[in-house]
Amino acid sequence: MQRRLANVNGWTVSAAIIMILLFLPNITIVTGIFSPSNENWVHMKEFVLGSFIRTSLILISATAILTISIGLSLAWLITQYQFPLRGFLKWALILPLSIPPFIGAYTYHGIVNYTGVIQTTLRDQFDMVLNPAHFDIMNLPGAIFIYTMFLYPYVYTITRVFLSQQSASLIESARMLGKGPWRTFFQVVIPISRVSIIGGASLVVLEVLNDYGVVKYFGIQTFTTAIFQTWFGLGDIESSIKLAASLMGFVIFILVIEKVLRGRRQYSYSTTKVRPLPLIQLKGWKAGLVTTYGLMILSLGFFIPIAQLIDWMILTFGTIPMDEFLTYVKNSVLVAGISATAIIIFALIVGNFSRLVQGKVAKLLPKLSILGYSIPGAVIAVAVVTAFIALDRFLVPLYQMIGITTTLVLSVSLIMLISAYIIRFFAIGYNSIESGYDKIGTDFRDASRLLGVGVTKTFFKVDVPMLKGAIISGFILVFIDILKEIPLTLILRPFNFDTLSTKAFQYASDEKIMEASQASLLIVGISALAIVVFYKFLEKEPD
Amino acid sequence: MKKALFLVLAFALLVLSACGNDTTTNKTTSNKESKETKETTETNESKEVNLYTARHYDVDDELYAKFEEETGIKVNVIKGEADELLERIKREGDATEADLFLTADAGRLYRAKDDGLLQAVSSDKLDEQVPANFQDKDQMWYGLTKRARVIIYNKETVKPEELSTYEALTEDQWKGRVLIRGSENVYNQSLLASFIEINGEDKAKEWAAGLVSNFARDPEGGDRDQAKAIAAGVGDVAIMNTYYFGQMLNSEDPEEVKVAEGLGIFFPNQDTTGTHVNVSGAGVVKTSKNKDNAIKLLEFLSAPEAQGTFAEANYEYPVNESVEATELLKSWGEFKEQDISLSVLGDNNAKSILIFNEVGWK
Amino acid sequence: MFISIQNVCFSYPNTGKPALDQFSMNIEKGEVISILGRSGSGKSTILRLLAGLEKPTEGSLTIQDEVLFDGNTFLQPEKRGIGMVFQDYALFPHMTVGENILFGLFQLKKSDKKKRLQEVLELVELQDYEKRYPHQLSGGQQQRVAIARAIAPNPHLILLDEPFSNLDAELQVKIRKDLREILKKANITSIFVTHDENDAHALADRIVKLKDGCIDLIGRPCDLIGIHPHPVPQVTPMIEERELMSV
Repeated sequence: MQRRLANVNGWTVSAAIIMILLFLPNITIVTGIFSPSNENWVHMKEFVLGSFIRTSLILISATAILTISIGLSLAWLITQYQFPLRGFLKWALILPLSIPPFIGAYTYHGIVNYTGVIQTTLRDQFDMVLNPAHFDIMNLPGAIFIYTMFLYPYVYTITRVFLSQQSASLIESARMLGKGPWRTFFQVVIPISRVSIIGGASLVVLEVLNDYGVVKYFGIQTFTTAIFQTWFGLGDIESSIKLAASLMGFVIFILVIEKVLRGRRQYSYSTTKVRPLPLIQLKGWKAGLVTTYGLMILSLGFFIPIAQLIDWMILTFGTIPMDEFLTYVKNSVLVAGISATAIIIFALIVGNFSRLVQGKVAKLLPKLSILGYSIPGAVIAVAVVTAFIALDRFLVPLYQMIGITTTLVLSVSLIMLISAYIIRFFAIGYNSIESGYDKIGTDFRDASRLLGVGVTKTFFKVDVPMLKGAIISGFILVFIDILKEIPLTLILRPFNFDTLSTKAFQYASDEKIMEASQASLLIVGISALAIVVFYKFLEKEPD
Repeated sequence: MKKALFLVLAFALLVLSACGNDTTTNKTTSNKESKETKETTETNESKEVNLYTARHYDVDDELYAKFEEETGIKVNVIKGEADELLERIKREGDATEADLFLTADAGRLYRAKDDGLLQAVSSDKLDEQVPANFQDKDQMWYGLTKRARVIIYNKETVKPEELSTYEALTEDQWKGRVLIRGSENVYNQSLLASFIEINGEDKAKEWAAGLVSNFARDPEGGDRDQAKAIAAGVGDVAIMNTYYFGQMLNSEDPEEVKVAEGLGIFFPNQDTTGTHVNVSGAGVVKTSKNKDNAIKLLEFLSAPEAQGTFAEANYEYPVNESVEATELLKSWGEFKEQDISLSVLGDNNAKSILIFNEVGWK
Repeated sequence: MFISIQNVCFSYPNTGKPALDQFSMNIEKGEVISILGRSGSGKSTILRLLAGLEKPTEGSLTIQDEVLFDGNTFLQPEKRGIGMVFQDYALFPHMTVGENILFGLFQLKKSDKKKRLQEVLELVELQDYEKRYPHQLSGGQQQRVAIARAIAPNPHLILLDEPFSNLDAELQVKIRKDLREILKKANITSIFVTHDENDAHALADRIVKLKDGCIDLIGRPCDLIGIHPHPVPQVTPMIEERELMSV
């Protein structure tokens, strides 16, 4: 092991530095679990924790099952069959990811509530007075619906990429053995896609666990509610960090279970020629049914909320100041772009390190960075602020040398916000990069080295170009996530710094969802543009 | 490819350092300026004031711009949620750049004070503009606008004569008819905190339990949603803040206006302890480096000229008694307010959360 | 002695038994050596050890009196001057045939590069394919590009990992012949690994039979005919070995 390490000095050192920086703030949270229990903790445990945990478990398991059903079925249909609008649905089905769930929640409630378009139309046009209970979305099933509609693309994208790279022979041989399409799906496709299903679903689960906007608005009490209630309500941040730390513990537990389930199975292709599946042409009602299914999901997750937002934008146009919007767009794109770039670069370095060293620790350690994604952003924010203030105090002598008289320099700059994004979203980018590395295997690198080219030069000349797809998809995913991010941006931004998401949140939190439509639509527009560009680019790629 | 990657990296670093320097160079130049001006006038400090605010209406920005126009003092703003901003100030400690902390709940102002984040400031102007009961007793914070938490009722099914007090809503005749949002909301926490002060902890708990048993449904949504639920026939009365009702009456959405017009507003406890009011207000941060500017901003925001816009834009009541409320607010009539020091809202906040949890108010 | 391999031992981490135990042999310049064995016998491991992709636990390797590894030295793969043709060829998919071959020639002058490129293209008879991408070629053509790429920098030694496993039977016979010609024409010392006796007999000057990480037999093809102490099955699933390496 040590002899191996000696080979890869530069990479080891930089990967180690990156990982230490990623973990430091998380460690301050993890240590919170060992702080002594106080009376608030006891009270939470006695009265609410049990039911909160139950609600959370229902929420995450139902959302996971639904997102898997929708995401995987769509991925399978798209990779396997030819039907009308397939080419469009292929990329459009990712679009719901561009709508922040809390905006989705406000929008859907706006649609179905008493003054919403459904009830008013029925009331005014058809004179139907309805039982409002049938139109209530602000409950547990409603929240599951919201999370499912706006998060299923995680499962869809990851499984679709996986299935389209599957060697055709595997699925064809199942067909040859006389299995019908359904049995092929359940007996071959699901088992072989297990790893990618779990990968996508775990992103969904973590996103649900760390989200606060939807459940707060819907009045659903989850584990996250407990974290914030102890912090905001009881003013007891120690107990709330303790709760967050328990959440991390739970996530680690899940990760370990997943690891055990997955076992030692790992596939990698060293060959460039994975034969793609030939598409099966669907005809008649079957084709119609599949297209309708795709369009229905896309409408629920994208077109319907977008139509409502556009309607609201028209209603409120001119009533809110718009002159700063260009700045918000610029700010949003700037921080999301820089952070996503940094994350991808770091992920490339850490991924290469983990591949070079090959040890178990080197494989597992970067995986733990997902912890930053598992707990509510506001808690991460506190950890990051604490770390940066300590850093600033440490750097004071340096500041004085260059003539700066204030103590807080880094922590009032964008660097703090960007670092927080990196800590939080590293796992998303790393996932993508790591699967890219897995896919290309090590033969290309070895071939390059045997032609006399060193590790670092090989990285730039062979690895990076071959990882292009993974780099771009990782970048887009992180970019969109940061574009719609809320708690970190809100708490950690420097003075006079607004982004589209802070603006959207600001209106929404004042119960002015209509006024929030402009900023929300811009977020969606930029994300959608990124998705489209990404797909145009990928399609041009030779296989 | 290698070049491209390095270029991106170099660009990122450049932008980062530029952004980082942005604020610092501002700081240093302003500090230099202040040194220079000190030599000449010795009164003027820097031309900035740094504001951490949990109030984020568009009109606020206009007022800050106007303030800069009048005084030449630039208002730097970080907008966020109250508790998170407080935590940030706390963590930044004596190095914090924050000068003024502004939030929309007296309980949070109390917490800031209790955590030792604020300092006492006094000025004749503030005393003149902000009535004593809307100031902190130690002058650590000053109220700027006020809102009442009132009963909204369905004009068709409820006669105003049937309504009297918050306490009366726990009676049997209201079973299955009362709407109110969840307990995680600070306005409910402050409401219960005021009852703890006025009626004692046991009575307050009794009230909360009684109200829960009269709920028309599990709490969900915001204040506006309670009003809509009345229109939808889920319940007949709702407890909500005055300004949300004002916003609905003036909504861009004609459907919301229609809903609001079918509702009446009732100020409870007029013959007893008074209607619950809360404020948005601000306090000067303990380690403020621009204390004078912060006080100037406070004075500006509570002055008659600003009070009009500041309160009006959000259908709130101005604290400055020389400023009249808007026509809409006047049409709701004068009312008697709870006679308590708003500081107690913060004092009792934690207690009210515990009560909410114990009585099962979601 | 051109190449000397002495007492090389190796075991993969987390597995108890050695993948290779006390492997020694000497090779003359220009010789074509075949390592024959069933999967799991350690034959691919030898190639990876010689190439520097794995580190032996013991032993030494010298080529032309230069120590590539022993107890004190470990030369990185890029410094060894050893070429390798991978089982799946590992042609860089984002580069043309020409770019793939030029990849290892970065130390040459521009004009020399061009010359060398034409030379090896001619050697493998792919003159007209310089601008094609690997995915536009047939399996046999891809293999020849891989050989050309490995030969181009004039390595002391070229290693071939199951060079025929991805080709159909008919092509296999033809390519086998071509390959021997190419190797002999270029006078390159080579070691190739296979599980197929016919390949070994058709191509090699000498054959090494491996069993459980130890040398079982060693000799010229004609000497080995008829000796089958441990029959080698013709069809062997290769997936096990790949899995072992990726763990």
